[in-house]
Amino acid sequence: MITTPEVIDALVAQARPVRRLRHPVLRVAAWLLFAAVILTLIGANHGLRADLALRLQQPVFVIGVGAALLTAVLAAIAAFMLSLPDRSRAWLMLPLPSLLAWIGTMGYGCLSQWVRFDPGSELPGETLRCLSTLVFASLPLFLIMMVMLRHAALIRPGPVAAAVGLSVAAVSSTAMSLFHDFDASVMILAWNLGAAALVFAGIGLFAGKVLAWLAPMSLLRRRV
Amino acid sequence: MSVSGKITRRLNLVGSAPPDEPAPGGAQRLGELDWVILMSRAQAGDKVAYRRLLDEITPYIRWRAGKAFSVEGDREDVVQETLLTVHAIRNTYDPGRPFGPWLVAIANRRVVDGLRRQGRRRARETELEEEHEQIAHLSAASPGEAGDAQLLRQAVSSLPPAQQQAVQLLKLGQMSLKEASAASGMTIASLKVATHRAIKSLRRALKGES
Repeated sequence: MITTPEVIDALVAQARPVRRLRHPVLRVAAWLLFAAVILTLIGANHGLRADLALRLQQPVFVIGVGAALLTAVLAAIAAFMLSLPDRSRAWLMLPLPSLLAWIGTMGYGCLSQWVRFDPGSELPGETLRCLSTLVFASLPLFLIMMVMLRHAALIRPGPVAAAVGLSVAAVSSTAMSLFHDFDASVMILAWNLGAAALVFAGIGLFAGKVLAWLAPMSLLRRRV
Repeated sequence: MSVSGKITRRLNLVGSAPPDEPAPGGAQRLGELDWVILMSRAQAGDKVAYRRLLDEITPYIRWRAGKAFSVEGDREDVVQETLLTVHAIRNTYDPGRPFGPWLVAIANRRVVDGLRRQGRRRARETELEEEHEQIAHLSAASPGEAGDAQLLRQAVSSLPPAQQQAVQLLKLGQMSLKEASAASGMTIASLKVATHRAIKSLRRALKGES
């Protein structure tokens, strides 16, 4: 059995200079900048929804998109804070108010537009484009954030994964609201709340494993 | 200062007041500052500072692990894993913030992991009873098992010396824990841990052979 003084000897022998992580707020800003670039690229490729100017005059739409964006920012801050050992777990609560507002506007939108739902009006091609927007918006953002937060696997993988999932889901929902003009309640429910929930649940399920894979665990593994 | 005195002093530092408030004791503030400076130098690659830091925080981690684990081997596992985690994520420490909460959060996490691991281990293991040993004895006595006995001897000889000794005294020599402790000079707790690990390694080795 390797003794503790031997472990200390080994660690000291491997002690090379390390670059300290930058302040969490700067790291959040870098990630948000990346998110803005991704959304711009998707927008340039797909184009904004045709009725965006009209929708921007509707308070529920503006509040909904605003709340989703705010949720994305606050959840990203929460994820970066939670990934540091000496920060409080209470950071997980930060995005909750905007999340509730976001879900509230989605629910209101569904109720107010229920009568406009026409089952024959949704084209399969547009549904596929919706799916591709979802994938292109969420996957790179998710992977980048996982790499940036890989050290969290050794501290609190669960709460960090939850915050990452919420942030990425909120960004992809914003993308959906800006680029796709589905107004029928079922589609709103499916693509906003449903897609967000799917991304959130999917990331929540796999984030722990992804974090563990990316984390600097080689030392721990070598011992086992 | 004794080790326990040092530990008490360090623990007082964990919930220390913000830097702008007057310190309850000059020595406490100095101790916290020591660790902050040592970690800051360690991040820059200063091996002497890093060794001093690890040596100084180890008694605290051991004390913290000792509250959750009574067996020495389990406790040392947690101590070592905490040190490894400190090493792996030392880039996350910000010298502008207190060192205590950073270390405590890491130690607590490894203690919780250790308790979970212990729970899983206990759930899938059962104590060896007399009839298990008799069955093992009978099967080893049959002529067809001679090759297995040879494999087992080879596997035992590949174990680390302490585990080899524990298996030879307790399992092959059938000594009691007290007798084996007297014969080897190892404590009963270390013998138990060494035997447990040896059995695990043997199981793995023999499964790999078959």
